[in-house]
Amino acid sequence: RVGMAESAAAAAAAAGLLEPGAKEVAARSLGRTAHNMSSSSLRKKSDLALLRKVPCAPLRGLLDNLQQVLLATKLVLLFPAVFLALAARYFDFGQEWVFVLSLIGLVPLAERLSFLTEQVACYTGPTVGGLLNATFGNVTEVIIAIFALYEGKVVVVKCSLLGSILSNLLLVLGTSLFLGGLANLGKYQPYDRMQADVSTGLLILGALCHSLPLMLRYAVSSEEHTIVSWDAGLELSRACSVVMLLAYVAYLFFQLKTHCQLFEPQEVEDDGDDSVSQDEAVLGFSSAIIWLGVMTLMTAVLSEFVVSTIEAASKSWELSVSFISIILIPIVGNAAEHAGAVIFAFKNKLDITLGVSLGSATQISMFVVPLSVLVAWIMGVPMDLDFNLLETGCLFLAILVTTFTLQDGSSHYLKGLILLFCYIVIAICFFVLRRRGSGSNDGVGMGVASNTRRI
Amino acid sequence: MSTMESGLLRKHASDAGGLRAARTGPHGHSATARTAHSMSASALRKKSDASLVRKVPFAPLRPLLANLQEVFLGTKLAVLFPAVPLAIAARYAHFGQVWVFALSLLGLIPLAERVSFLTEQIAIYTGPTVGGLLNATCGNATELIIALFALMQGKIEVVKCSLLGSVLSNLLLVLGTSLFCGGIVNLGVDQPYDRKQADVNTGLLILGVLCQSLPLMLRYAVGAGEHSVAADTTGLVLSRACSIVMLLAYVAYLFFQLKTHTQLFEPQDIDEDGEDQEEAVIGFGSGLFWLAFKTVLIAILSEFVVGTIEPTSQSWGLSVSFISIILLPIVGNAAEHAGAIIFALKNKLDITLGVALGSATQISMFVVPLSVIVAWIAGIQMDLDFKLIETGSLFVSVIVTSFTLQDGTSHYLKGILLLLCYIVIGACFFVTRQPSSHANGNGAGLAVPTGTLNAQVA
Repeated sequence: RVGMAESAAAAAAAAGLLEPGAKEVAARSLGRTAHNMSSSSLRKKSDLALLRKVPCAPLRGLLDNLQQVLLATKLVLLFPAVFLALAARYFDFGQEWVFVLSLIGLVPLAERLSFLTEQVACYTGPTVGGLLNATFGNVTEVIIAIFALYEGKVVVVKCSLLGSILSNLLLVLGTSLFLGGLANLGKYQPYDRMQADVSTGLLILGALCHSLPLMLRYAVSSEEHTIVSWDAGLELSRACSVVMLLAYVAYLFFQLKTHCQLFEPQEVEDDGDDSVSQDEAVLGFSSAIIWLGVMTLMTAVLSEFVVSTIEAASKSWELSVSFISIILIPIVGNAAEHAGAVIFAFKNKLDITLGVSLGSATQISMFVVPLSVLVAWIMGVPMDLDFNLLETGCLFLAILVTTFTLQDGSSHYLKGLILLFCYIVIAICFFVLRRRGSGSNDGVGMGVASNTRRI
Repeated sequence: MSTMESGLLRKHASDAGGLRAARTGPHGHSATARTAHSMSASALRKKSDASLVRKVPFAPLRPLLANLQEVFLGTKLAVLFPAVPLAIAARYAHFGQVWVFALSLLGLIPLAERVSFLTEQIAIYTGPTVGGLLNATCGNATELIIALFALMQGKIEVVKCSLLGSVLSNLLLVLGTSLFCGGIVNLGVDQPYDRKQADVNTGLLILGVLCQSLPLMLRYAVGAGEHSVAADTTGLVLSRACSIVMLLAYVAYLFFQLKTHTQLFEPQDIDEDGEDQEEAVIGFGSGLFWLAFKTVLIAILSEFVVGTIEPTSQSWGLSVSFISIILLPIVGNAAEHAGAIIFALKNKLDITLGVALGSATQISMFVVPLSVIVAWIAGIQMDLDFKLIETGSLFVSVIVTSFTLQDGTSHYLKGILLLLCYIVIGACFFVTRQPSSHANGNGAGLAVPTGTLNAQVA
């Protein structure tokens, strides 16, 4: 049977090469980026047998819809945390319980958002779909960032976004390459370098944009340069953010229009029957839009809980706000992608793994970060791109070590282990920074310090 | 030249095919223990001439003499051996401290080469894995011993500078000279090497740079008021945690190198390399004895070097950090340096890279964290914060080496670039000498910024 399948696949491939209609096939799969292929590995075929027994026909459709939306994921076990978080909030449990439950509840919501985006993309065609994916791919991070901005917690915004980049580059990629390397020991583990190079270039541009305001501040404070007004760093950050968004638009154009062949994931043949083919829409367009709205709303509610209870959690756990923002929140926010990336690394499909982790890091660095700066500008919050010395240094070295790791087109477990060790070292560094005495106004203290120095 | 000649002569006895067969055949196990490092060191060895020994009439004396000859004279560096007793004599006859320093440094060169030879001899008896571990541990025994002695005398500055200098010298000087000389000699010939091995080392070196940068950045960030730390020992705690992670990474690297991916680290086939290292020339017991003996000698000379570094610095008008970063490592790596160049001349760049990068990785990921841990046990506050210029130089060196080794071939310009980087760094440390107070200027200089940091924390 396997032989037959193989020959059929070969015939199909040959036909695809010859057929003029192959273009349409390729075009249809355009909307499927590595990102949603990875998250699809967490999905399961929903069992319709139970549904068919329901007598009332309109009810059947509604139930089917509900089942597709709520139960068709392996992360469904974490859904109760959403309600528990709401309950904990309104029955005045401990703040840290609200924090923990909200974080856990965000995991399945993030996965479902990606699923719904993909469903909507099925109706809109590849380009709009690609744009939707690119925008909603990290919607959890965006929502958390906007809520934190709204509450004026600039440090939390900066730390959580930076932590998300670090976690994608080092933790997600490191675990995937390590486990993939161990599972495929002795096998050749290739990947396409071109895609990695594009992301790397953008990430280095991002690191430059983060470094300039930082270096400006240090240069001014050591009297190497003089600036006219104290918000020169802020203006520089806003200009850099505009440039970063332009670069991201160019990247989307490159990815979706002119060089889409670079970003096509490797063929996935032995996906197993537990994953759903994403080419067909299982939901209607309007129902998908409605659910997208509902899920976004729930994500927003939980994000608000997370942001407002972060200081209480920091105080009760004796961890600094920056440690929680840089290490804990991104681990949770990226959990679904993380699992997907590891699963594809196990299957030796490193292109998808790289697409997920590097794509996500690029998106946060070049889209979410400048967007936050611009939103803060509109809101009148003075958020700049100056992420302090230690954070920027870690980002820079993380990008460098990832770049050098991905230089030759194959992988082995030691590469993953090195990335993982880098992440551990960075985590230790932010862990030892905690202040035992006054954990609560850690963030405020940091914000004030940088403000006064700028003045 | 004599290596080439003897190589041609020996080609009749054991041709290249025989060597290759021995590697994969029944004696294949000993091949795995032969790292690029030991192969390079062997380039300096010469076949000892046994004819003189055979003339000795007294039979029991004969093997003893043969043994002595193998141990002491089986190297081209034997001419430097007299420096060892001279250094000891200079010390006890109260010559100038400078003489003790210079003679000890000279004496360390042949001793370092002999320790590597003896390690390799023992490795033949212990099998590939233990042998590989032995080579990995004793490969930079001289650096390790110097570091430990400096640590015991509380000269943390010397420890840091000599280890950092050793990494810099391996990455830039040894590799630069080798690629340059190899490029000139093999002009017009393709000079390929295996990128994978270089990539593994690069990854580890960047991890090392990250571990050394974090305490430095922490100190600066706290100094600029960006972060606050609970206690003034946070940098130290961070350094110790980083050192443990570095040692774990080194263990993983050894496992990778000796167990799962040995094929990446196998040196290119040597067709005309003359000496046959597969056979043990001395017994196991005598090997162990001599290894201990040489290690003791190295320890004595290291103690002399460490003890006389400050008077030397004063009398030569050089700073302690210049001597530690530039002079000590040049001497400590002399034997490997010569070996790396010889193999680069033969266009065997894999061995050259294995020596230079392997040695740098070993110092960065094993000797440095080990020193921190040993200092911790001994109650000495040594951290991984190697100050700004030193860490910056290390960082740029690792980056320039990584970029140089990106495509899988070499040419002489790459070597020149690395070499010029080394010269620039050397010049930088040369001009930072403090003419007024050489004696303990550096130790105090290091202590002051940390002190101010502590004051700010408090």
